[in-house]
Order: sequence, then C-alpha cells, then structure tokens
Amino acid sequence: MNSRKLIIALAGNPNSGKTTIFNNLTGAHQKVGNWSGVTVEKKEGVITRHGYELTIIDLPGTYSLTPFSIEEIVARNFVLDAHPDVVIDIIDASNLERSLYLATQLREIDCKVLFALNMADMAKSRGVKIHADKLSELLDVPVVFTVGNKNEGMDALLKKAIELAENTRQTPEGRKVHYSPDIETAVADLQNFIHQVLPEKLPYSERWTAVKLIEDDKIVHERILSLSGDHQQALEAQIRLARQYITDRFDDDPEIIMTDERYGFIAGIVKEAVTASARQRVDISRNIDLVLTNRFIGFPIFILFIWGMFQLTFSVGKYPQEWITACVHALSAALEMHLPDSLFKDLLLNGVIAGVGSVIVFLPNILILFFCISLFEDTGYMARTAFLMDKIMHAIGLHGKSFIPMLMGFGCNVPAIMATRTLESEKDRILTILITPFMSCSAKLPIYIVLAGTFFATRAGTVIFIIYLTGVVLSIITGRLLRTTLLKGLDAPFVMELPPYRIPMAKSVMIHMWERSKMFLKKMGNIILIGSIVIWTLSAFPRHIEYSRNYEAEIQNLQSRGALQMPGDAAARRTLEKETAAAMDDIKGQMQAEHVEKSYMGQLGKLLAPVFAPIGIDWRGSVALLSGFVAKEIVVSTLGILYVARGDNKTEALRTALASSDMTPLSAVSMLVFVLLYLPCLATIATIRRELRSWKWTAFSIGYSTSLAWVMAFLVYHGGRFLGF
Amino acid sequence: MKQLHRQEKEQFTKLFKQEAIDRFEDRLKVVEVFLNFEHHVTVGELTSMIGDSGVSLSPDFVQDTLKLLCCFGFAQKNRFEDGHIRYEHHHLGHHHDHMICMRCNKIVEFENEELENLQLTIAESHGFHLLQHKMELYGICAACMKDHVQIMPLTMTRQGERVVIKDFTCGSEARMRLLSMGLRVGDEVQIITNIGKGQMAIAAGFKRYVIGRGLAQKIRVIPVHKKNVSVGKMDEIHAAE
Repeated sequence: MNSRKLIIALAGNPNSGKTTIFNNLTGAHQKVGNWSGVTVEKKEGVITRHGYELTIIDLPGTYSLTPFSIEEIVARNFVLDAHPDVVIDIIDASNLERSLYLATQLREIDCKVLFALNMADMAKSRGVKIHADKLSELLDVPVVFTVGNKNEGMDALLKKAIELAENTRQTPEGRKVHYSPDIETAVADLQNFIHQVLPEKLPYSERWTAVKLIEDDKIVHERILSLSGDHQQALEAQIRLARQYITDRFDDDPEIIMTDERYGFIAGIVKEAVTASARQRVDISRNIDLVLTNRFIGFPIFILFIWGMFQLTFSVGKYPQEWITACVHALSAALEMHLPDSLFKDLLLNGVIAGVGSVIVFLPNILILFFCISLFEDTGYMARTAFLMDKIMHAIGLHGKSFIPMLMGFGCNVPAIMATRTLESEKDRILTILITPFMSCSAKLPIYIVLAGTFFATRAGTVIFIIYLTGVVLSIITGRLLRTTLLKGLDAPFVMELPPYRIPMAKSVMIHMWERSKMFLKKMGNIILIGSIVIWTLSAFPRHIEYSRNYEAEIQNLQSRGALQMPGDAAARRTLEKETAAAMDDIKGQMQAEHVEKSYMGQLGKLLAPVFAPIGIDWRGSVALLSGFVAKEIVVSTLGILYVARGDNKTEALRTALASSDMTPLSAVSMLVFVLLYLPCLATIATIRRELRSWKWTAFSIGYSTSLAWVMAFLVYHGGRFLGF
Repeated sequence: MKQLHRQEKEQFTKLFKQEAIDRFEDRLKVVEVFLNFEHHVTVGELTSMIGDSGVSLSPDFVQDTLKLLCCFGFAQKNRFEDGHIRYEHHHLGHHHDHMICMRCNKIVEFENEELENLQLTIAESHGFHLLQHKMELYGICAACMKDHVQIMPLTMTRQGERVVIKDFTCGSEARMRLLSMGLRVGDEVQIITNIGKGQMAIAAGFKRYVIGRGLAQKIRVIPVHKKNVSVGKMDEIHAAE
C-alpha cells in the first residue's frame, strides 16, 4: 500500500457539533490521550479513504485562537506548529456570526482551511438561509454542507479536504480581515520592523506576528522576544509605540478595537451571504431553561435526576453484579477443584481472582453511572447542574462545575478525579482533586456496614449517615482552608456557554460511556492486579512459620480421634462428625490467623501498631487498614481473616467475632472516622498523580488526608473516653 | 410678546439713530430676526436664520450687531459650559434663570417670583443695590436622568427581563472573552435565572450563557422598553413564580 498520509485537524466552537462529526468520520477507530504536558483530552483517529491514510485530530472546542484557556492554547499551537495539511473549521450555521470569528482567525494564520457548514438544517428552520457559494467566494475558502447528527456530507467533506491538501496553490492572500487605515499603518510599521530585525527566523507569518504583538498576545510576545536577541529592547519599544498609536486614536485597547473590527468584517460577510426571514422561532432550549434552571423548581428537579441516577446505578446494577459474583465464585471453585495444591494456585485463587474479582463486580455500576453521566452530558443537562450547584459550591470556594466530580466521588473516586479535567482553572482542579476523596466512595460502605452494624445495631443507619456527612463537612472546611492559604484563587471572570438541549445520539452516548469505562477497567485492572499480588505476597510469606502450636498435629489428632471413637449409633455419629468438623474449622481458622499475624503483613501491622494505638485500633485493625491501601473492599475480608470469622455467612460471622473481641463501640467509631478520611486506594492515588502531574501535590493529598484522619480519630477516641463512653 | 418686541424695535430705532450707527437697515434686520428667537442663539445660528429670511449678512456683522445690543443692555451674552457663546435678548422688565443639562446641553428657562424677591431682599439686607443678576443651574435634565438611572449592572435585573448591553466595565481580557463568545455591546439578552447570589443565566439570540456574579456586575445594561410579545411572556413568567 502506497497511500499518502494526510493530517486533518477539526476546529470549531464548543457545541458546534464537532465531536459528532469526528465520531462520524472515525467511528470506532479512536485513540484518546492527552495533549503533551496538559490534561486536555486529545482525540485522534486514523482512517483510510480514497487511497489516503487520514489522521483526523479533534482539536479542543474553542471560541477563538486568543490564548485565554488551555484549550485555546492547545488548538492554536497545533495549527501553528504541527502544520496540519488541512484544518476543517466546523461552522455552526445557526450561530454563524460567532463561528465566523474563529474562522477569520484561522484565515489570518496561513493555513489551508475548509469550512464545514454544520447544522444548516437547523438554521433553516430558524428562518436563516446561508448561501454557501457567496460565503465561499467572500472568504475564499471552500465550503461543504454537513448535518452531523444525520451523518450527511461526511464523504464530501473528506473529498474536499483531500483536494485542498493536494492543491499546491499557495494559500490565497486576499479575503482576510482588513483593519481600518490607522491600524493597518501600525501593523505595517511593526511588520517592517520585524522584517528588518528578525529576517528568516520568524516561526509565523510576518503580518500575523505583527497583529498578535499589537494585540498583546503573551505567548507570541514571549516567543518573538526570545528570538530577537540584541534587538529585544528596540522591539519592545516598537510594540509599545504601535499599541500607543492605536490607543491614542481609538481611545481603547488595541485588542478590543481589532476584535470589534473583525466583527465588523464578519457583519459584512453575514449581510452578503445570509438571508434571514423575519419570522422569529421560539427558542426551545431557552424555554426549557426557564424551567430547569428556575430558582424555585430547578433544584428539586435536579435532586430528582440525581436520585434517579443513583437508584438506577445501584438497584439495576445489583442484578448483573450478582451474576458476576456468581461467575467469579464458579471460576475459583473450578480452579480449586482442578488445580493441584501449589503456591501458584494460592496466588491465583487468593491473590489474583479474589483481588480482581472484588473490583470487577463494580463494572455494572460503573457502566450505568457512566451511561447516566454521558446522557446528562449529551443532552446538555450537565452544564445546568453546574450552574445550579454554583451557589452551594461557593461555600467551599469552588465553582459549580466542581460539583460533578465530587458527586461522582460517592460512587468511585477514580472516574471522579478523571472528571475534574473539565475544570479550566488549574487551582480549582487541584482543590477539587484534594477534597474529592472525602466523598465516601461505595467501596467503603461494606466496612461501615460491618462496623456500625456490629456495634450500633439499630442505630447503624444513623451512624453511617453521620459518617458520610462528616466527610462532606470536612471537605468544605478543607476547601475553605486551602482556598485561603495554599490555593488562593483569583476569582477569575467566569462565563460559560450553556449548550442547547439536544436529543442524545445513541452512538455518541455509547462511545462516551465505553471510553470512560475502558479507562476505568484498564487502570483498575492493572493496579488491582499488582496490588492484590503484593498483598497476597505480604500475607503469604514467609512460607514457613513457626506456629505457637502444632496445628498440623492437632488436626491429625482430631481426624484420628474421630475415626477411633466412631460410635455405632447413627445419630450420635452424626453429632460427633459435626463436632469434629467445627473443631477442625476452629483450628484451621486459628492457624490461618496466626499465619497472617506472623506474615510480613502482620509484622508490618505490628510495627505500625504504636501509631494506631492512640486512636484505639489494635494491630489487626492496622493490618486491615493497611490492606485497604490497595482497595477498600479488601479491608473487610482482611478483618475476616484476622478475627477468625467462620461460617457460611461471612459478614454475620465477622460481626460475632468483632463483638466478642476487645473492640469497643468507641474504637469502632474511631476506626470508621479513620476509614472515611485516610489515604485513598492505590488506583485513586495513581489517578490523582496522573491528573495533577505532580508528585508534590499527590504526596500532599496522601499526607493531608492521612494526618487529618489520624487527628480526627484521635479527637473522637479521646473525646469519647473523656465523656465516659 | 409681539407687543413687547415692537416696543423694543422702536427703542432700537431711536437709539441707533441717536448714535448714528451705520447700515441701519441691515442692523434692524438682525434685531428683527433675533427678537423672534425665544431661546439662546449662537452667532452662527442667527446668521443662517437671517440668510433664510432672504438677506445675506456676514457673521462678523451679525456678531458686531449683537455686541452693540449687549452694549445698550438689550441683549446678554452667555458663555455656557460647552464653550459656545449664546445670546439672548432681554425683554423689558423680563428676565429668566437657566437650568443647563450637562449631558445633553439642553437649556431650561424658569422664572420664580419668590426667588426674585428673595434676591432683592438679600441684596437690600447687605445694602447692595441690585442691577442685574444671572443664575445658571447645572445638572442633568429630566430626560437624561431617566436614561441615567436605567443603566444598571446585569446583576440588578429580574428573571425574564429583557435588556440591552450598553457597556462592559471589565478588563480587556474579560471583554475579549465575552466578545469572542459572541456577547457584544448592543446585544439584546433575556435573563433566564438570577437567583440573587452566585452565577446567573442569560440568553442572547439562540445562545445561552452562565455568567459569574463578579463579571455580571461589570456588564452594564438598560431595560428594553416592553412592547409586543415579551410583555405577555414576562407576565407568564411572573405568574409562574
């Protein structure tokens, strides 16, 4: 295959239907990653069409190429530095004027641009008719009509893109924005100066550089100055002069004047290329918003949706969860039967399958949760929830957008922390990531149920609710604390577009859901697998332990005694067999417990015991908490092993064992508090590290949460003792 | 009034003749036109008015005549804050005070008997013999005041209200951001939600935005005068509330 390779970038406003077109073009051939150095999702897909290998890159949705946000910087840098063969600008036909703003900026950069006039059908229904040929002629850019959600015009778009890429004609000079004479003079002067000072070294076109310097574009400014060497001061003076020249004449900042003039240029084009009928259609989205963001009924509706989401996640998710549990059990039972006893079998059964199995059961819940979230996103409701929660989130010093990750934190912290990438401000993102782990995740619930159920019986529900509430309150306090100290945020001017309400496309919802779940599965799979093996290794080694009693002998003894004393009477025999079996279980359990106690895990736990003693947790508790580092689900099973819980119903048995141990209700509460707050699981930490791209903040997160947990548990334990509990 | 003017004209005729002023007829023409104005007039305005009545006179001549009138005490020269010099003729035994709008330069004349008497009393109490006085009150006229009050930050609007963006008082970066997102001066927007604290939601055309409180404070708007459909719609919204 001798196919030529082309790089096609998709640019466009947010909500212009860009992602839909990208999904249509690439289908399942998508690769989701990050743009280097930043946490902005980079999506690309490689397809083969018309004998070409096309790499299609979905640039982040932006309103302009002025570098305000990471998205804009990423998009602009790609167009400027990576030199894509063609840039397809997706133009929202129903929002032509604003879409053309980005389009004129793309035209100002010398790259090959192609317009996809998207959603023209919707514009038409609003009484706006766009003459593509006129538009094409006026801007000197090829235009293709597309309807993204009906998958129309995709092939024509690609054909045109290939044609444009193969066209050796230089990018057309004309039809760019012409500013008013005074500005043109200033631009020309600066352009001349640059031409003299920086010959041959300029990374961008001279005119564009001059325009951007006059607009005080920080990034271009820095880059050009660093290139200018000896002329740096002269250049700076020249830029100041040009800016001053315009400011004097227009009595406003040059960037504002030039933006105004671009809009003037656009207004001229729109006037020529669009015929709008007078009939004003009702804006359905606006009317829906009048209800859904209403100050009185908006909030109850929102609560209803969220309640529905959790209901669906946990009640519907319960059934497949049971099936998966059954499958895991069947698998381990089958392996138990067919594999010969060995170290490998032990690793496979108690390490790998037990560990990974405990996570995979959450897959249905995760899938449903992500399905709901994708649905919220694709209908456009998500942006409204952020708006509704804004007032409340301000108590923490965050914007409403941070609410979604925190809410997801009640399900699982991993996707929750991944969801923080929608936040624009770096500081907001760090703060949200730091407080999200205090939202008690679903994996901690079994621990609460066991502990609270054992020691508070009928009041268990209340205790668990208070624990959840404590997490929320502490997250608010933490938020406020950090906001006024380490993460002092400027209250940046905030403006966000509310996307129109749309009927979600099944394909897009599925792609969204699958992308997220895939990431979850991959990360969880990897980390849980490794973590489980580590935990298993720590608790299984050293292999040969000097037991305090000779369990083997006792077992042997029991067996032989049972055989010797076998009475003739059938009923008596059955009773004896039962007794023997119970005694056997007892001994085996004690043996297992001693094994764990003397294993590396137990040794580590005992080593840490002095740390946990002041908060009323003994070495068994510390081992269990330690194992929770891998996954919180493991805490309960570790407790089960250490407290020698026996019986068919593991939870019941553990409760009995705990109740008869030296653990008091007070130390149970202390442990509950500690579990709520202490360091998140390995998968979460890995995600935190990946999203923050900083070991410093990751270490801070671990250190802060764990010390807060210890201090809170200490206060609870000793406060309780002081009060006489 | 007409009566008064004729009296004044006769007085000018007598005076001009006594003083042997040149171009008597032309000057009388100036006086005639000038007396027909019941408001303050600049030299330029007067010259063109005279031109309209069919006589062509140079502005210098007109100004010279007006100066003469001032000398005789028949007219008064006023320099207003905008730098223009305007003339008004004195009615015999008549005068009025002025209120000048600093925004639209509109001049409102007023007379108040009590005020006149009060001035006389004050002058007398100081043993001061009052010959003439000039009173100019500077301020904002009723029409401008109405406009002025109506410009308000976006945060002051009510749900459902329609307003037009008049100005952005935020920094250039925030302004650029608003511009690039398609919010510009002159756009009509409808308030979707304004809870009182926190962000607010607005709609402009087929686009809807959420704007932080701080930024909304810096967007200055005036209400759209309610007419046509929007009234009915707003009533519905109020009813819903």
